[in-house]
Amino acid sequence: MFYRETGEFKTSYKADQATFPIRFEFFVFWTVVVLAFAVVPFFINDYWEKAVFIPFFVYALGAIGLNILTGYCGQVSLGTGGFMAVGAYACYKLMTGLDIYIPMGFDDTGTMAYHTILLPPLNIVWCVLLGGVITAIVGMLFGLPSLRIKGFYLAVATLAAQFFLVWLFNKVPYFYNYSATGQITATETTLFGFAITGPNAAPVATYLFCLSFLFLFAWIARNLVRGRIGRSWMAIRDMDIAAEIIGVNPLMTKLSAFAVSSFYIGMAGALFFAVWHGAAEPTEAFSINQSFLVLFMIIIGGLGSIVGSLIGAAFMVLLPVLFKNIFVGAFGWPTDLSEYLQLMLVGALIIVFLIAEPHGIAALWRTTKEKLRMWPFPH
Amino acid sequence: MNAFVRSDQAAPEDGIKAGEVMLRVENVSLAFGGVRAITDVSFDILKGEIRAIIGPNGAGKTSMLNVINGFYHPQEGEIWFRGVKRSNMKPHQIAHQGIARTFQNIALFKGMSTLDNIMTGRLTMMRRNMLWQALWTGPAEAEEIRHREFVERIIDFLEIQHIRKMPVGRLPYGLQKRVELGRALAAEPQLLLLDEPMAGMNLEEKEDMSRFILDVNSQFGTTIALIEHDMSVVMDLSDRVVVLDYGKKIGDGTPDEVCRDQTVIDAYLGVSHD
Repeated sequence: MFYRETGEFKTSYKADQATFPIRFEFFVFWTVVVLAFAVVPFFINDYWEKAVFIPFFVYALGAIGLNILTGYCGQVSLGTGGFMAVGAYACYKLMTGLDIYIPMGFDDTGTMAYHTILLPPLNIVWCVLLGGVITAIVGMLFGLPSLRIKGFYLAVATLAAQFFLVWLFNKVPYFYNYSATGQITATETTLFGFAITGPNAAPVATYLFCLSFLFLFAWIARNLVRGRIGRSWMAIRDMDIAAEIIGVNPLMTKLSAFAVSSFYIGMAGALFFAVWHGAAEPTEAFSINQSFLVLFMIIIGGLGSIVGSLIGAAFMVLLPVLFKNIFVGAFGWPTDLSEYLQLMLVGALIIVFLIAEPHGIAALWRTTKEKLRMWPFPH
Repeated sequence: MNAFVRSDQAAPEDGIKAGEVMLRVENVSLAFGGVRAITDVSFDILKGEIRAIIGPNGAGKTSMLNVINGFYHPQEGEIWFRGVKRSNMKPHQIAHQGIARTFQNIALFKGMSTLDNIMTGRLTMMRRNMLWQALWTGPAEAEEIRHREFVERIIDFLEIQHIRKMPVGRLPYGLQKRVELGRALAAEPQLLLLDEPMAGMNLEEKEDMSRFILDVNSQFGTTIALIEHDMSVVMDLSDRVVVLDYGKKIGDGTPDEVCRDQTVIDAYLGVSHD
């Protein structure tokens, strides 16, 4: 029959708490996964890769990360761009061979002596993962104030992180390996003999690389939010006092949300720089606009929903592409007009969603499902 | 209902038998700036009893509960729980010791379903770390299902099967109160604190709630301390009553004794000071 919950009976708790309890949903999901992994790679070209798929994968990872922090744990963050920068720069340092200087005290002439450790350039998988780990550590540091301040004030504190981190990557040449332009440029890295980053990377390779990351970590995020940790996060979000009374440690819970969230955002930043753009410069690439873009994604897609993060990312990535193709491509309107229209639409949508459905498209979908349960009978 | 047995991960019983002192409050005083909320109050709660705390508005009843579960730290006095003097602990540490509570104004997690709300009561007993959680299949899922089974028994006990998957924000008031009791019960507490469990309920809901409280007490042997304004409920349910007025203890004893106490009657009905 068609898509609804009615008639799906579960006989075990395992089946009842499955990610896709409705059989139809289950099949649709796996069909999409198989299509994405086994069919799309044969047809992908440079345009689809750079304009649609890679941006979607990168922002979906970032949106999942921010959704864990804001949607699930209720801690508002405007530092997404800054944390993406941390991931990108960590990835850059690791892929060019990390150099660590440990001060060993002063020598006879009064200059600082260093013990230098040089790591060899790492595999791109490690670069992205460790980029995430380093961002997680930075995120936890900036998450510490969340124990004392909430809501609006916390948002301002994370805003400070955003500006501080961008300033740091602009000002300290160590982070961009003393390059003359102040830019970071991805070196060529390979995985199983295929170039993933650098000018020789084939669309298929980058597509599959980013898709695998998204698939794996979306799945992990889903597992995290449905179990013990996810419930602690949501308990803190919904009522922190009651959460503490039933035994949730607020410090550990908030910091774990900041860590996991920053891990995801860091990976998104690493992929953004290394695979998507190939080069980055902090003021432009990781500005406050990135923070807002990802925040809009989770507001439109749905706060507190992993699927919502994906929908929101898809929406915000596809909208400009769609506008460009329709208004500029088909109607021949000027580019700037189409861009303004798009800004107006996004702005209006955010206002509408915040008023009418703060939990976004994902919640609309849930409501539809509930309505369908009884349809066509009133009750 | 012997299906409601303690799971293997429950806090170990430590040899306190029914009738022995579970919690003792000794000379506790609590002040907020110049306002003295509680002045030199002592009483005890015996294992297995239902202990009511009553008093007029502003008598310090809720402050007393907040002291017991660690939300306020009294300036003076001691609290002994299961024979051990308690140092200043955070509320979440006290939850791990086996004290659960409900709130006067419902404090449920509005964005979560009934099932998830009650599952949060089991958080203190879930052990699997983040890596197992991320993997899910295997130990984390097994743990989840084990606790789900326990929670389902509570759902059966409280007769809320039909709202299992509903977001609690949409439930009527009486059911929300019931879910909150369920969340507290899920923690398998040694001591259950109920802050006005029947406030704002109609007669039928009050009778249901009274039944649940008595059943919890008699079937699982949970020690209960409750605050309530409805005198008939207090007299029917409780084994012993402590009466507070303006932060001071003015009465302590069985419901009958307290009822006949002249100081208590004066506090409730007022007394002329001419």
